[in-house]
Amino acid sequence: MLLLKSIVLQWLYVGLMAPFLCGVIIKTKALVVGRVGPPLFQPFYDLLKLTRKQNVYSQTTTFIFRCAPVVVLSSLLILSLFIPLISQPAPIRFAGDILMFVYLLGIGRFFLIASSFDTGFSFAGMGASREAFFSCFTEVAFFMNLIILALLAQSISLSQMIGASTPLSWPLFGPALILVVSSLFLILLAENGRIPVDDPATHLELTMIHEVMILDYSGRDLAAMLYGAMLKFLIFAGILVPLLVPVRLGQAFPDLLVFTAGLIAIAVLVGIIESIMARLRLNRVRHLLLAAFALAFFGFIVTLWSRL
Amino acid sequence: MIRFAWQVPFGEFSLKLDPLNLIFLLSIAVVTLCAGLYAGSYMRAYRGVRSLAAHAFFFSVLILSLVLVVTANHVLLFLGAWELMAVATYFLIIFHEEKNSVRRSGFLYLIATHCGTFCLLAMFFLMAQAAGSMDFDRIAATAFSPAAASVIFILALLGFGVKAGFFPLHIWLPHAHPAAPSHVSALLSGVAIKIGIYGLCRIIAIVPTLPDWCGYFLLMIGVVSGLMGVLYALGQHELKKFLAYHSVENIGIIALGLGVGLLGRTHQQPFIAALGFAGGLFHVLNHSLFKALLFFSAGAVMRKTGTGAIDQMGGVAKLMPWTSGLFLIGALSICGLPLFNGFVSEFFVYFALFQGLLLFPLKSAAFCAIGILSLALMGCLALACFTKVYGIVFLGEARNPDVVTSTRSPQDRGLDLPAGMFFPMLVLAGLCIWIGLCPWFIARLTWQAGTYLTAVNPAFISGQKIFSALGQVIAVSFGLLGIMTMVLLFQRIGSRIAALPRRETWRCGFSGFTPRLQYTAASFARSILECLKTILVFRKTGSAVLGEFPARVSLASGVHDAAEDFVFRPFYGRLRDLAKGIQKNRLRYTQVYLIYILFFLVFLIVLKFR
Repeated sequence: MLLLKSIVLQWLYVGLMAPFLCGVIIKTKALVVGRVGPPLFQPFYDLLKLTRKQNVYSQTTTFIFRCAPVVVLSSLLILSLFIPLISQPAPIRFAGDILMFVYLLGIGRFFLIASSFDTGFSFAGMGASREAFFSCFTEVAFFMNLIILALLAQSISLSQMIGASTPLSWPLFGPALILVVSSLFLILLAENGRIPVDDPATHLELTMIHEVMILDYSGRDLAAMLYGAMLKFLIFAGILVPLLVPVRLGQAFPDLLVFTAGLIAIAVLVGIIESIMARLRLNRVRHLLLAAFALAFFGFIVTLWSRL
Repeated sequence: MIRFAWQVPFGEFSLKLDPLNLIFLLSIAVVTLCAGLYAGSYMRAYRGVRSLAAHAFFFSVLILSLVLVVTANHVLLFLGAWELMAVATYFLIIFHEEKNSVRRSGFLYLIATHCGTFCLLAMFFLMAQAAGSMDFDRIAATAFSPAAASVIFILALLGFGVKAGFFPLHIWLPHAHPAAPSHVSALLSGVAIKIGIYGLCRIIAIVPTLPDWCGYFLLMIGVVSGLMGVLYALGQHELKKFLAYHSVENIGIIALGLGVGLLGRTHQQPFIAALGFAGGLFHVLNHSLFKALLFFSAGAVMRKTGTGAIDQMGGVAKLMPWTSGLFLIGALSICGLPLFNGFVSEFFVYFALFQGLLLFPLKSAAFCAIGILSLALMGCLALACFTKVYGIVFLGEARNPDVVTSTRSPQDRGLDLPAGMFFPMLVLAGLCIWIGLCPWFIARLTWQAGTYLTAVNPAFISGQKIFSALGQVIAVSFGLLGIMTMVLLFQRIGSRIAALPRRETWRCGFSGFTPRLQYTAASFARSILECLKTILVFRKTGSAVLGEFPARVSLASGVHDAAEDFVFRPFYGRLRDLAKGIQKNRLRYTQVYLIYILFFLVFLIVLKFR
């Protein structure tokens, strides 16, 4: 019963927070360039509007195309339960949950790529190819970070690795943690298709990966895909915040406020980066992702060095 | 454990059942049964065209020899069954013997397996000499010196590695698999190559004093086989060749598990050792299930389309909806995704590697980190491989209407393949999901085998840690299923309006679309392969489209097997030249050879009475 309650509360928080963070990014981008921008809750209205629209399917598509939004959204919904809201322990936590975490992301990715082949459109195929290519880099870099965190926290459960209840000591592990945090931030940008890896602002001219793959979706399926993307951003930001914020007040509500503030700060940071940078050329993205891996690798060396 | 022995005229004939060969017997039983059922329907096309009796005979001989190899408890019996297996497999591979390429592939297999047997003979000779007996139990009781153990391990790696398909020795696999009929490919990939793994496990079990470099070496073999296997698979555009290279990858994962198990054994960490071994053996069983399923469905597709070229297909899912669904289950399993069996065994291997990272001394921990990273990369690349194959073959529109002829109406819900072929595939797919969602029975069996290989009293190793984690994994899997149902209900029931009539795919206003403009397997894989062209032999032939009125051009790209092109081909070329040179210079008189024989006999007599 306790578990059920914590799951419901977590979903309530995550479910409302995810579109809100998306709104924060859009608002930040507007403010930086001096526009008023849409209201903060615009993503909610967009999603609501989409759920009232009809689904249009192409003649080319098969059941894969209809399965994909369900699988993507469900896998991300269950992944959101892996994230500890600082001192609130994550509803799902066990030794080795990080492996489940990565492979649940994988099952969503499998269906996303398959669904873009299902449309029979070469542009979607290109997006799929890039997604598969870049995910190789991000996943290896992500695992490198996990290795460091496992060594620092002496645990292979996500909640303990990112120091949910007792934060990892910055004075002790400072150098390694700086490298981990910066590497994870690059992974966050890449996995969510933000600038400088991909430009989520358009569907055609600038966008190269994620929006390309969901180009043929409409109605509720599109809403599921977009909501999944918002959840994914929150999940990756939610891994970063406990690492960055070394404050634990020990009470549920103030800690939740700290966590929320951290999430918003990351969203603002992403918004600022999107305003001041352009998207990288696609053949240079892999250098950025290799940089993420290299940062983590140096972190690994630092960690091993301190263990000597 | 049951043990029964009896006497036959030649030497000893003793069989033994233990937790280790139980796993292999299980996979042999399931896969051969399914392959037999599948073959009954698949080979019907050849009835009356050619004699099937020989094929059926060698099929039965293969099953018998497989069972004998894994249960043999005596060196001579083991080697005899091993040879029987090799020969039976050869005759199964060359079923289409009228084709030159098939005969060549079969011959390559025969050469490869005999090179392996040569190493095995040397290895068993060493062991038997040290132990003074050819019984496995007596050999196991012998204490080998580190040097002898090292030599035995190297010979075992060479001899069994050829069979298993470890990276540089894998070259027969991608030739033999496409040449053989589909059910034979499934047997080869699902069971026959695992016998190499079995042999290695048996050596690990009966030589408990393997020096510590063995663990590192096996782990690195796993890393190299896994990565190179999956990269070569990504570059393949032929369905069965692609699956064959994937076997190399999965053998790599198995070797990774066994390697971390060996490391755990040398570092006196029985939990990690048992976990690593159990993970590797679990993957043996799982791989035999999903790889057989994939080969069966590939066979069904190739039977329908008449080709294995991936880039010629497209839209097969509309033609063969059932086959496409079963292939999808196999693909999801082999990618190691949750809800399916591949994830459970990879979870074991990952768990062992992470435990090793935390508990081993520095050097071994670093090796575990390499193992984790390469396993992650393998997972990603396997996902790219199978989305590529599934997407290009089954989804989209038919690229070549001559190959994929759509004669099936969308209302037709009947089976798209004979029931005799469908049923074994259904069984295998069901087993994949069963192990994915309810792994307890198989997990216990593999855990027992893992503790058996650890060579520590099983009572001292508690598997509680992994089994409680596994329980959580299963709970989350069922949670995922539950959420999927909820989302599905929300998507379907809540919507007030029915979906609009079906339209064309929106192609951003581009109207001159033909199915040939779809993305191909070659273009999908290109970015990854070009990025890695320093370690892969990625070749493009043909030219780009140039000028305002371009002439007709063609472009083909593919990955060449470096081990085959740069190691074995030159080596055997050299060897052939040498042999030719000797042949040219020898004396061509029978009398000279008689003299040679006489000299040799005299030499032997002198040696004996010296």
